[in-house]
Amino acid sequence: MWQTFGFEFVNFYFIPGLVVGCIYALGAIGITLTFSILRFANFAHGEVMMIGAYFTWTAMTLAKNSFGLSIHPLFAAIPAIALAIGLFIFVDRYFYKPFRSAPTIRVVMASFGMMLVIRSFVQSVWGPNQLTFVPGIARPNETVKSFTNSFDIMILMPNKHFWIIAGTIMIMMALSWLLTKTKIGKGMRAVSDSPELAKVSGIDVEVIIQATWMVGGFCAVAAGVFLAMDLQMLETTMGFRMLLPMFAAAILGGIGRPFGAVIGGLVIGLAEELSVYPWFGNGPLLSPGYKTGVAFAIMIVMLVLRPSGLFKGRLF
Amino acid sequence: MKIKIATSLVLSLMITAAQADVIVGNPMAQTGPIPDLVAPMVQAVDMAAEHVNAQGGMFAAGEKFTIARADSQCDPVAAVDAVTKLVNVSMVTAIVGPVCSGATIAQAESVSIPAGVVTLSVSASSPMITDMESGTDLVFRTAASDAYQGVALAELALAKGIKDIAVSYANDDYNAAIAGVFAKAYADLGGTITSNQAHEPNKASYRAEVATLGASSDNLALFAYYGSGGITIMRNALETGAFSTFLGADGMLAQEVIDQIGAENLGNATFTTSTSDQTASGFTAWKALADASGVPAAGPFVPNSYDATFLIALAIEKAGSADRSLIAEALRSVANAPGEVILPGEFAKAKSILAAGGEIHYAGAAGPQDFDANGDVAGYFSANVVKNGAWDGAIIK
Amino acid sequence: MDMLIGYSLYGISLLTVGGIYAILALGLNIQWGYAGLFNAGIAGFAAVGAYTFALLSTATNPYHFGGLGLPLPLAILAAMVLSGCIAFLIGLVCIRLRSDYLAIATIGIAEIIKLCLKNETDLTNGPRGINKIPRPWEHLGEERFYTSFPMSWIKDAAGWENFFGQLPNWWWQPFFCGSILLLVYTIYLLLEKAQLSPWGRMMTAIRENEGAAHAAGKHVTRRRIEAFVIGAMVMGLAGAMLSQHLKLIDPTNTFDPSKMTFLVWVMLIAGGSGNNKGAIFGAFLVWTIWSASEIFINSGLNVFGQLISDMDISLLKTRAGYLRMVVIGLLLQYILQKYPNGIIPESRPTSAGN
Repeated sequence: MWQTFGFEFVNFYFIPGLVVGCIYALGAIGITLTFSILRFANFAHGEVMMIGAYFTWTAMTLAKNSFGLSIHPLFAAIPAIALAIGLFIFVDRYFYKPFRSAPTIRVVMASFGMMLVIRSFVQSVWGPNQLTFVPGIARPNETVKSFTNSFDIMILMPNKHFWIIAGTIMIMMALSWLLTKTKIGKGMRAVSDSPELAKVSGIDVEVIIQATWMVGGFCAVAAGVFLAMDLQMLETTMGFRMLLPMFAAAILGGIGRPFGAVIGGLVIGLAEELSVYPWFGNGPLLSPGYKTGVAFAIMIVMLVLRPSGLFKGRLF
Repeated sequence: MKIKIATSLVLSLMITAAQADVIVGNPMAQTGPIPDLVAPMVQAVDMAAEHVNAQGGMFAAGEKFTIARADSQCDPVAAVDAVTKLVNVSMVTAIVGPVCSGATIAQAESVSIPAGVVTLSVSASSPMITDMESGTDLVFRTAASDAYQGVALAELALAKGIKDIAVSYANDDYNAAIAGVFAKAYADLGGTITSNQAHEPNKASYRAEVATLGASSDNLALFAYYGSGGITIMRNALETGAFSTFLGADGMLAQEVIDQIGAENLGNATFTTSTSDQTASGFTAWKALADASGVPAAGPFVPNSYDATFLIALAIEKAGSADRSLIAEALRSVANAPGEVILPGEFAKAKSILAAGGEIHYAGAAGPQDFDANGDVAGYFSANVVKNGAWDGAIIK
Repeated sequence: MDMLIGYSLYGISLLTVGGIYAILALGLNIQWGYAGLFNAGIAGFAAVGAYTFALLSTATNPYHFGGLGLPLPLAILAAMVLSGCIAFLIGLVCIRLRSDYLAIATIGIAEIIKLCLKNETDLTNGPRGINKIPRPWEHLGEERFYTSFPMSWIKDAAGWENFFGQLPNWWWQPFFCGSILLLVYTIYLLLEKAQLSPWGRMMTAIRENEGAAHAAGKHVTRRRIEAFVIGAMVMGLAGAMLSQHLKLIDPTNTFDPSKMTFLVWVMLIAGGSGNNKGAIFGAFLVWTIWSASEIFINSGLNVFGQLISDMDISLLKTRAGYLRMVVIGLLLQYILQKYPNGIIPESRPTSAGN
């Protein structure tokens, strides 16, 4: 059973789906928080993911060139996170804040404009070419391979995938603590549920908004760095092409439900990879050319059947 | 203040238009999906223009040969807009470029053919270009049609003893076209295509596609741009060990592939590209020039870009004026036999022969560049494998 | 003289493409400005229109389905009808979604439409696209048109060849541009009329206060589907005109959402949503900025390079395309903040209907 079915399924379809799902999930957290607290779909979110990965690359390259140190991407991501959060807050202050009381469409347009500006900025500074993040091929971890093989369930997983999955779980746990145990987290949930009520009960909405950008920025950079670790390279449209599946994940999980977004991300990631599994016969179930459509189809079905998402998110 | 800025910009526009003597339009996809492939091609175009100007410029008066560049973005909308500007505002004599086949066809049918301007494409390789024109003779290209390269690659695969192969191609105009030609030729020649799947470019993971294809064969024919998914597919395939042998075309042939994946992992990867007969003098001359300028000599379509620019300069010189209507005929005359052979970079020599009323025959960096009735070139192809951390090509056809 | 003709032809091309975008913006104005429907899948409807027109009007050819060679007006009509039909089906399912949700659903639908066009290779020639699309006026000079009725009835083939040979090669450009501007004007008049009609007032009522309109016995869902379908038909028309202008369409690059969807939104919002004049003005303004900025940035860099001669501008030049996008993005932010209701804001018709 394992040899004929499970080995291929788990190693080549399930685990890759899980890894992509983790990246979608982290990106979707930021989107769902912005959507519920600031009430608009932030099109620039993918670009912050991307610029975070570029900052990380720069930190790694600087460390290598000036000190001869090769540092792990996750370590180099720390200054990148600070910069990306700074960027988010700067953009919010000068480009989104003027539209707080205006119709949503204007701030959506503004975020679309920022998407163009940030991406073109990166393209003019770092150049449009691909950058190598980590060269070479990530072979499956030998220890895990031989350990699991002794139970007859050989798992092939390179180290980078352990980092991505473990990192996502840790961020989730931290986020869970932040949202349920801290004052600021409770404030965020309150504003998300009802901004008017939160305001009346003495919560400073602007502070909450800044906190939202920080959490969103942190998760976005983490997603960007994980994506770059998985792809082992950087390029300037990597954020944008993740954006729509991340929206899909946020909607699937229910707007304003960060944990829903995580589940949504995992579902979308798995569905994309599993859609090309040869469920019947030898050919893929769906032509891989249609793979991108899977996320959208799930999203549309969800919107139509249950617009509040799997976890009863907010409806506007 | 605003009016001041606007007037100064308009003035500057006039200055740029007036000071240039012979202007050639060069729409290149500098932004868009494949900027990384295009950057060295742009360098090659500029290099050709430098050579022309360093060797006496255009005509007897030594007028400056200027490149007016615009961004065609690989996109029909942008290409049509860019070429409209080049043809009408910059008043170019001819068009060198655009990069992508779709953009080339759109700009040619929509703008340059109606305006009677010659287009010499540097890398458009779609078979659709061959039978595009009706009655006019205005579209040429220095890159061979996929119809040739796909067949060459199929023959190469069978010569290597590969009897069955899985095909994965990026669903874009270039890769879909060449994959179609390859699959047909391979099957006609007696090979077995075990699976033929399109993949969507620019996805984060192709592990599932790779696994599904890998179940049917150990050999993968991969048609993708390295910059938009190609490297990721290679990497996913190598990580999982799904394939042992890789074949592919131009889009994957870049130093970046080696830098990112590592030379030690690419032992069984062979990619073809159009090239010149490398023992021939054309390529040797080109390689010396390219190395001197730091341009990747064997990069995909880089020699073709040089050839296109150089040929247009020769054609304008031959025509004796920047008149658009004379270029097509002059282009055929300088590119095809008979005449004295001119190698890349030998503009002064060509100029003096033409001044004396002689005939020239350009032997290009990327092949002979003899145009057939459709404005296509036959092209030689090389099979490239990794040797000492760089791509090393050998002629196959 | 050549220079003058050149600049005029470029001006005409700006008006042509600006006009096509104006049609798109007017279509969007019906959906967003009139009915408050946040359609972010404009590229999808334009693609349906463009492909329908292309498949029906081109000559038979081995690359894709058909090439039925129908008369152009018929193909344009079919493009509008099919676009409308698809919008109707989408509307039945999605119309009750609220603003942002509808936006995200329509983005998804547009992407799925593009994926179908890209993968159904037998029908559409896949990513390689369809070429040789006939362009009105210019098409009269094509052999298959002047040898068929009614042109063959006026003159024989040699006569027509002789006639077209005498014209300058750009003769059709002003006519094509004029046709598009005429279309823009016609749609504008129709929409202005609709806005003042009971239907238009009902739309405004539904947009402003759905509950009240519903309570007043208005059929809210039906009206919204109507607006969605009419808007999509106008977008299908624009798609057909676009395919004529480009003469080649492909699913990926031609119908890129940032150029076919978001740019139209920028045009409508910058120009003034709810106001047809604003939509048209925004379209021409933004397209002119988009297109002409390339010339200005390039020549600006040249001047810059001449002023500071010891600076190497070659790097700047290779990145000029990106600098241009930064400038366009910032300009959009400026317009959004400077004109909160668009450059030509919506003017509400009073009860007297002035």
